[in-house]
Amino acid sequence: MSPAVRIEALTRAFAGRVVLDGIDLAIQPGEFVALIGRSGCGKSTLLRAIAGLDDGVAGGGTVEAPRSKAILFQDSRLLPWERVLSNVTLGLAAADAEPRARRVLAAVGLEGREDAWPGTLSGGEQQRVALARALVREPALLLADEPFGALDALTRLRMHALLAALVARHRPTVLLVTHDVDEALTLADRILVMDQGRITRDLPIALPPPRRRSDAGFDALRGLLLNALGVPEHA
Amino acid sequence: MSDRASYELISVADVLLPIDPPQPRPAPRAAPVLAPRRLPAWGILFGPLVLVLVWEAASQTGLLSPRLLAAPSTAVTSGFAMLQAGTLQEHFLASAQRAWLGLGIGVAIGLVLALASGLTRLGEASIDGVVQVKRAIPTLALIPLAILWLGIGEVMKIALIATSVLVPVYINTHAALRGIDLRFVELARSVGLGRAEFLRRVALPGALPGFFTGLRLAVTACWTALVVLEQINTTEGIGYLMNRARDYGQTDVIVVGLAVYAVLGLASDMAVRALERRALSWRKALGA
Ligand SMILES: Nc1ncnc2c1ncn2[C@@H]1O[C@H](COP(=O)(O)OP(=O)(O)OP(=O)(O)O)[C@@H](O)[C@H]1O
Ligand SMILES: [Mg+2]
Repeated sequence: MSPAVRIEALTRAFAGRVVLDGIDLAIQPGEFVALIGRSGCGKSTLLRAIAGLDDGVAGGGTVEAPRSKAILFQDSRLLPWERVLSNVTLGLAAADAEPRARRVLAAVGLEGREDAWPGTLSGGEQQRVALARALVREPALLLADEPFGALDALTRLRMHALLAALVARHRPTVLLVTHDVDEALTLADRILVMDQGRITRDLPIALPPPRRRSDAGFDALRGLLLNALGVPEHA
Repeated sequence: MSDRASYELISVADVLLPIDPPQPRPAPRAAPVLAPRRLPAWGILFGPLVLVLVWEAASQTGLLSPRLLAAPSTAVTSGFAMLQAGTLQEHFLASAQRAWLGLGIGVAIGLVLALASGLTRLGEASIDGVVQVKRAIPTLALIPLAILWLGIGEVMKIALIATSVLVPVYINTHAALRGIDLRFVELARSVGLGRAEFLRRVALPGALPGFFTGLRLAVTACWTALVVLEQINTTEGIGYLMNRARDYGQTDVIVVGLAVYAVLGLASDMAVRALERRALSWRKALGA
């Protein structure tokens, strides 16, 4: 099976400072990959390179990614002057865009809020609209850059469950950038650790579902990852 | 009892009764007034009303000579008479037509220029500098040239009103288009919006608040220009009415003219506000 995403010798530099330093990576179709690493190590830069949103940035290498992809930003990035439903269908050309959007909104628990203005929704609800906007495209590849970073802990747990359920149903390939080791361990089939523009660890996560943070296997992997991230008490 | 003692007494009581049953919330004690409370809608009329009463009283007692300023009551009577004779409507319409035609044309040109300059590089290169220079020259300084070019008729007046109106519309709309949030540009790319759809769904709605700011300023600019221009060779319009009244010393007619200008200005401002409220209803939902 050919990989969904294939990256070879990818480099990117800002003003002469190398931010991606020769990345090689293959992601299989349907795989859920989490990317963690210290702040500033280049995670967003890699994601934007895959998304094709970084023209004008210096660098080389090849990126092969499916045309059909959707991006989940850290901020929900909803157009404040469009109602929820039109935000979800933004740029969607399909004839049945609207009924599809309604179904996806229902799936993220926002049935009945189609006509609301984004500004009147809570942060978690806004991020769920953004998730609906991404999923309604039925993307082959879902790129998410710390999509839950701005949410409170409780809402974040709910969003994990929601994302896991939706991904299980549609099986897109997922690349999720996160700061949260537990989030990565809960959701991913595979975790990449990045440091100074390189991928330094590539860990398959074989924990059986349902994954619980209290499980011994979970705890051991958490220690390993925190160690790899250089968190003092685990180093 | 010293302050200190009473403080301790209270704190002991607090400690002894830690779990009060929920009490009905007492009416809040007079909170310090940090900002004045909101006026009711008609509250704003209080000042003008007092002014008119003082003015009327001064006229009635002879403090204020009718040769300097007519009493409000006299002005109302004269205005009513002019309404019945039909002269007031005629002159009002002439002024309103001038103002609104100039406003409409100026807003349209300002908007088109702002779009061309805000959305294309060629447009910005050719338009922006010119408008900035125009901004530095008060429109009224252009009157001599405009008279030479366009004569002293209606065309010159409407052209000058339009010129003074287009500047604020252009400046604010252009700034809003330039200031479009780059995150939305990125979003538009990521969902594959074409250029036309990007304009329609992202750039233009994003620039709408700026446009309305410009429009409000344009209305003000429009009246200023109108009042000055109506002093020049007019045979109809509120300005003409007032000039003629000055020659005859009819201060009551001058007051009527001022009132009509005020009505025109207020009506236009209200129309713009209503339009803005409809177009930016998403903002109102945020309580902004
Ligand atoms: N447009 C840019 N211009 C200049 N430097 C940039 C730009 N984008 C990113 N960088 C730099 O590249 C480095 C990597 O940035 P990147 O956003 O990829 O980090 P990150 O791993 O996503 O960090 P975080 O976890 O804090 O989001 C940073 O040092 C950043 O300052
Ligand atoms: Mg980042």
